[in-house]
Amino acid sequence: MATRRTTSKNSKEEEKVAKLPSVWQRALTAKSQWPEKDDLLDVIYWSRQIIGIILGIVWGVIPLKGFIGLALFCVINPGALYIYFTSFQQIDEDEYGGVWELTKEGFMSSFALFLVVWIIIYSALYFD
Amino acid sequence: MLADTLLIVFISICTALLSEGITFLLVYRTETYKKLKGEVEKQSKKLEKSKENVTGQESKGQKKKLERQEERLKDHSRALSMVKMKSMFVIAFTFTSLMSMFNSIFDGRVVAKLPFVPISWIHGLSHRNLMGNDYTECSFIFLYILCTMSIRQNIQKLLGFAPSRAVAKQSGGFFTQPQQGK
Repeated sequence: MATRRTTSKNSKEEEKVAKLPSVWQRALTAKSQWPEKDDLLDVIYWSRQIIGIILGIVWGVIPLKGFIGLALFCVINPGALYIYFTSFQQIDEDEYGGVWELTKEGFMSSFALFLVVWIIIYSALYFD
Repeated sequence: MLADTLLIVFISICTALLSEGITFLLVYRTETYKKLKGEVEKQSKKLEKSKENVTGQESKGQKKKLERQEERLKDHSRALSMVKMKSMFVIAFTFTSLMSMFNSIFDGRVVAKLPFVPISWIHGLSHRNLMGNDYTECSFIFLYILCTMSIRQNIQKLLGFAPSRAVAKQSGGFFTQPQQGK
C-alpha cells in the first residue's frame, strides 16, 4: 500500500516537472519554479561563465589594468548572480545550502575564464 | 604573441578533450564505473535527505543508521576513486611527456602581456624561464594552467562527465565548510 502511494506521488511529481516550461524559459522568467535544484544551479553556473567572458572582453577593450580589474570582477560576478537568485528568482537560499553554496557555484572556473579572455584581448589589442 | 596565445588555448582544449577521452575509454564506459557511480549518487542523495531531517533528538538507532549510511557511502566513494586511479596514472604519464615537449617549444617566450602584476608567490609560474623583471610578461605555463582551469570543467560539464553535486557535497570540496558534529 505504502509502495503504491509512493509510486503515485512520484509519478505526480514527474508529471508536474514535465508540465514546466524549459530551463531556459524558467531562467528568464521571474519567480520560476525549480523542483530540480540542479537546474537552477546549472543556470547559475553557465550564467557565471557568460558574465566571466563578457567582463573579460570589456576589461580588455577599455583596457582596465591592475588590481582594480580583479576586484571589480570579484564584486560584479557574485553580486549580479546574488541579485538574480534573491530578487529575480526569489528562491529560498537555505534550500540550496545557503548563499555561500550558490555564490561558489562555478566561481573558480568563471574567474579563470575571465582572466584568460581579459589577457587575450588585452595582449591582442595593445601589445601585438 | 597572439598566435602563441591562441595556440595555447587550442592546446589546452585538445589536452582537456584527450584526458576526457582517455578517462572515457578506461573508466566511464566500464560497467563497474557505471554501477559504482549510480550507487554513490543514490547513497549521497539518500544521506543528504536523512541529514536534512536531523532534528538533534534522534534515537540511538537512528544515529547508528545514519553512521552506517555514511560508512557505506565512504566505501563506495573509495571504490570509485580506485577505479579512476588507472586512468589518472595514464593521464599523468601522457601529460608529463606532453608538458616537457610544450615547455621546450615555448621556453623563454613571452606568450602574453598580463593586464595586472601577479602577487609575488605566483611570479615563479607567471614569469617562468623569462628574462627581465617585467612581471606583466606571461609565460606558457601560467596561461596554460588558467586555460585548463576554465576549459576542463566546462568540457566535463558539457559532455556530462562532471561528478554530480550531491556526490561532491558529501565527499567535501576545497571550499566546503566542515560538517559540525552533533
